[in-house]
Amino acid sequence: MEFSVNKTDLVRELNLSQGVVERKTTIPILSNILIEASGESVTLTATDLELGIRCLAPAKVKSAGAGTIPAKRLLDYVRLLPESEVQIKIGDNHWASLVCGRSKTRIAGMSRESFPELPQMPEAMAKIPMGLLASMIAKTIFSISAEESRFTLNGALLQLKGTTLVMVATDGHRLALVEMENPLAAGEVNAKALLPRKAMNELLKLAAETPDKEAGVEFAADENHLFFRLGSRLLISRKLTGNFPDFERVLPKAHSHIVEISREELRAAIERVAQFSDERSRAIKVRFAENEAVVHSSISDSGESEENLPVLYEGPTVEIGFNAQYLLDFLRAVAEPTVAFHFKDAQSAGEMRPAGEGVNYNYRYVVMPMRI
Amino acid sequence: MPTIFHVDMDAFFVSVEELFDPSLKGKAVVVGGRATERGVVSAASYEARKFGVHSALPLRTAALRCPHAIFLDGHPERYREYSHKVHAVLQEFSPKVEMASVDEAYLDLSGTARLFGSPLSAAHALHARMKAVTGLNCSVGISSSKLVSKVCSDQAKPNGVLWIQPGLEAEFLAPLEVRKLPGVGKVMEQRLREIGIKRVGDLAGLEEDFLRRRFGVWGLALAGKARGMDAGSWFDGEIGAHEDPKSISHEHTFDQDTADVSVLETTLTRLTEKVARRLREHGFHARTVHLKLRYSDFTTFTRAHTLDHASQLDHELIIAIRELFQHNWRRGAPIRLLGAGVTGFEESEGQLDLLNAERNERAHKALAAVDKIRDRFGEKMVSLASGLKGDTREKVHENPVGLPGKEPKPKT
Repeated sequence: MEFSVNKTDLVRELNLSQGVVERKTTIPILSNILIEASGESVTLTATDLELGIRCLAPAKVKSAGAGTIPAKRLLDYVRLLPESEVQIKIGDNHWASLVCGRSKTRIAGMSRESFPELPQMPEAMAKIPMGLLASMIAKTIFSISAEESRFTLNGALLQLKGTTLVMVATDGHRLALVEMENPLAAGEVNAKALLPRKAMNELLKLAAETPDKEAGVEFAADENHLFFRLGSRLLISRKLTGNFPDFERVLPKAHSHIVEISREELRAAIERVAQFSDERSRAIKVRFAENEAVVHSSISDSGESEENLPVLYEGPTVEIGFNAQYLLDFLRAVAEPTVAFHFKDAQSAGEMRPAGEGVNYNYRYVVMPMRI
Repeated sequence: MPTIFHVDMDAFFVSVEELFDPSLKGKAVVVGGRATERGVVSAASYEARKFGVHSALPLRTAALRCPHAIFLDGHPERYREYSHKVHAVLQEFSPKVEMASVDEAYLDLSGTARLFGSPLSAAHALHARMKAVTGLNCSVGISSSKLVSKVCSDQAKPNGVLWIQPGLEAEFLAPLEVRKLPGVGKVMEQRLREIGIKRVGDLAGLEEDFLRRRFGVWGLALAGKARGMDAGSWFDGEIGAHEDPKSISHEHTFDQDTADVSVLETTLTRLTEKVARRLREHGFHARTVHLKLRYSDFTTFTRAHTLDHASQLDHELIIAIRELFQHNWRRGAPIRLLGAGVTGFEESEGQLDLLNAERNERAHKALAAVDKIRDRFGEKMVSLASGLKGDTREKVHENPVGLPGKEPKPKT
């Protein structure tokens, strides 16, 4: 196999595969990237058996063929090359030789025969704008559980409901739900799947590499896999198995009180006050009293801090303990300048939503309080 | 100068057994389990001790040394009951009472001279009162420090009183073997012997600096102990001063090593249930669970897992510990000992659960009710169904649940 490829194209596509390449060397071939040259392009494939990614770069192919090379070593080296054409040749002995200007390098590869076969993408179920999908991920991914043993919570639930898309993530302490109309919906589709966190991260990277936010991602699923194809790039993820908890049961039906607060003011206040919260529990207190919301925190013997925000509220005084990090996660993910804080009492789940005019989608963030 | 009593019940478990079965009196009696069982001696009567049977000796060894001894499983609930009685008597003499275990206590009698007279007459009164109320004998050590008093009561046994007047502590300790000092175990004894130290007096003669260089902070504590001062870890504390536990654990040694998953898991459930019960008794929530595994060949592993929130609920802790077990047990390898424990205590519950909020709330209420039943009717009245098969006879233990004088901190 022999081809030449533009260095910038190669680096960009190799970058996308880095998050997928297996870091541990338990199965050596998984540290390699599969390079296949044919026609007028090279296909780059990486997989860690959980995730797979396939990208394409335009190339001048002298002789078609395939081989594998250590992915990280290849990228680390190619990145340092000057902006120019890189000639790559992989011989029968699996050694790859790279020539670029005055640079010449040989890298030991492995036979392509041992590289795992990626599943074929079935017919697409839906098309989703890349920007919209990325926005839904960014609004939920922080609520995914870090506790590995709770494996059904190690990802988000993606639901296709008619022409609506729903994404839900929870770690058992808080839950983020976002529901948006799909402008690219061609008809009614009903399906759901558990999307692993790692796949969501790779989708965010893919989105960052896509200037056209309206570009449609084709979504498909087979029994065990989820497929996302955007132009010449294809991301394949193993489905998370198991049942996502019945989240609708824990969504508060009604709250006693609603207070609207400036997102930026609340975020800044919590960030400052949280400096004086216990490092591990990150506990702060939010007190709603007549026309004010007070954020307060203290660490016994070493300091305390309080901030007072003007709000429209005439209900009874209610004080609720929260993990500051949980509140900040939402305030950093929401785009609207005003948020509505829904609450009942110190034991019941609180909820935040974007507020104000022009909110044309449903975004609910439910947080359980702390007992401090 | 403080006046510290150390009151040690004479052959406590055996003496309690004798109260219920007077025919045992004067016989060689061993409490801890049957002669053929695995496990160790919890207590031996003075008659049995003549044959070299002492506590912590394997039961089977005890049976070899003293084949005619009567072996008893023991009655933990009786010991607990009597321990409470002992505690009540001691409290008549001082408000500052600290039960160091089920059968020994420290009392601070400083400033009670007008009430009880000299320390000796106070000790005499205590002796008589103890016998009258509980029917049990005890030995009393008196000095100006916890450490010397503890050594004294040992020297006074059985049924005696020994008072070391202030200033004579070092002289009293000097001829004793270093092993008699609390905190000096087999290993330390050996290490001291290596440098020619056999008696406490030899130790007291050494430079503090030398001890520190050789044994670190422990060396310093040793130097202090040799001079009869309360030094090092627990001995630095005031009597009755409240000290929260840093960890809670229970373990169980199987009579026969087992690789039966259901036996292992139910045992683990039962152990964790006990741990959770004590956690609630102290009003704590734990963040980290610990598992201890000992295989047949005595190789021992401990593994820990930190939860994403602090818990005191049986089912949450059991799930976490069981998971540790499933991940770390070499499938099929017979196990000799299992242990379950918790650390990382917090006084408030902290983060509440969203998905299981209702279930946890119900569990809190149910467990509170269960704990009340256990308080009134005993530990075995209620337990989780999954732990029932793993229920082991409660081993006689010097620091059981519900030790008097070590009540949890009052809730604020």
